[in-house]
Amino acid sequence: MNLRFSNKAISGILTVVPAREVAFEQEMANYNFSPAKCLKLKLAMGYGKHRIVAGDACASDLCVRGLTALFDRGLLKKDEIDALILVTQSPDHFMPPTSNIIQGRLGLKRDLLCLDICQGCAGFVIGLVEAFMLLEQEAIRKVVLLNADVLSRRVSPRDRNSFPLIGDAASVTIVEKDPSGGPIHANLKMDGSQADALMIPAGGFRCPSSPETARLEEDENGNFRAKDHLVMKGDAVFNFVQTEVPPMIAGLMNAAGADPGSVDYFMFHQPNRFMLRKLADKMQVGYEKMPSNIVENFGNSSGVTIPLAVTFNAGERLLRERLKICLAGFGVGLTWASILMNVGPLAFCEMIEYD
Amino acid sequence: MEKTGFYEALAEILEVEKVGDADVLREFDAWDSLTKLSIIALADSDYRTVLTAKDLDGIATVGDLKDRLEKNGQ
Repeated sequence: MNLRFSNKAISGILTVVPAREVAFEQEMANYNFSPAKCLKLKLAMGYGKHRIVAGDACASDLCVRGLTALFDRGLLKKDEIDALILVTQSPDHFMPPTSNIIQGRLGLKRDLLCLDICQGCAGFVIGLVEAFMLLEQEAIRKVVLLNADVLSRRVSPRDRNSFPLIGDAASVTIVEKDPSGGPIHANLKMDGSQADALMIPAGGFRCPSSPETARLEEDENGNFRAKDHLVMKGDAVFNFVQTEVPPMIAGLMNAAGADPGSVDYFMFHQPNRFMLRKLADKMQVGYEKMPSNIVENFGNSSGVTIPLAVTFNAGERLLRERLKICLAGFGVGLTWASILMNVGPLAFCEMIEYD
Repeated sequence: MEKTGFYEALAEILEVEKVGDADVLREFDAWDSLTKLSIIALADSDYRTVLTAKDLDGIATVGDLKDRLEKNGQ
């Protein structure tokens, strides 16, 4: 469906990555693949180093780090937050909502809407759409959109399909009313008939975790994972992205009456460099306009990859300039969604570390 | 469709000098999940064909793969 918003803007983006950085070469021995084949995999997919949490750090820990940094620097005041949205697939607990936990830990006001959304790769775009809808209310002037995942804790270290690319991270995006904000166009689609393309089979109520679901099993490609771990049908996801994303963006441009050539950046979800370059080729977009360097530097942190791509590739520019940016997320659900909007100049647009 | 480039593109993916129609895909040293993904990507970019890993498991030879891509790519 096509959506349209007006008088709203992003005013700041802060990303938080774990200080712990691990290189692909340090983990090669875990994979049932020769060193030569591992290096070929690294080159083809664009793997490098990734940021993964040490120990049992949770989504709320990364979010609290980010929000505290903003409070300390005077870039955000506690009492001006009217809604706190957290998009995550790795909540601290099944209940209560992790956004309520964050509210409590930080002592935020009680006149506040806390809302957890379970979305992944498209989670930044879905979260923004939700923030824009909330801002239609008079009482809601400023929304803090949090995206956070620590999915490395649920990926088998012996799964070369997923472990080399996984990353943990969080982002804090401030979304607010802006009378001078231009039109914002968005669209989204979902296909739950392919829900098993990306999933963690066990650990929920359908299949609770047990010693049985923790047992590692070998798949046909020599990867070892348990039912408690994330499993991805790489070929199905690849075909889904190449088939659905180009027409989605064409539809977005059409609805907005925009020329793709006028877009400064295509800040897309970062599954891996291979998939993004194929997508850029198909859409005839130059690689410099569609960054694909997040997986090789930080890993794929699900819904946080778009804000990471923004802060890493355009952080300085967005402090000074106003850029036309096309955002797109696609993956788990399946869900695919995109937004075309002007962004900047921002009050802050940078990355910090979590220790 | 770039059918003339099929053998060259496949040989590059399979890391050999050249390939022939009778060659059996799964007997190549480079036959693994990454190679399969590269062929899936070739099918998408050059033949506008959606090929799955399961489809590939049911395709025996280089010639069979060429037939499959050309049939769907028309």
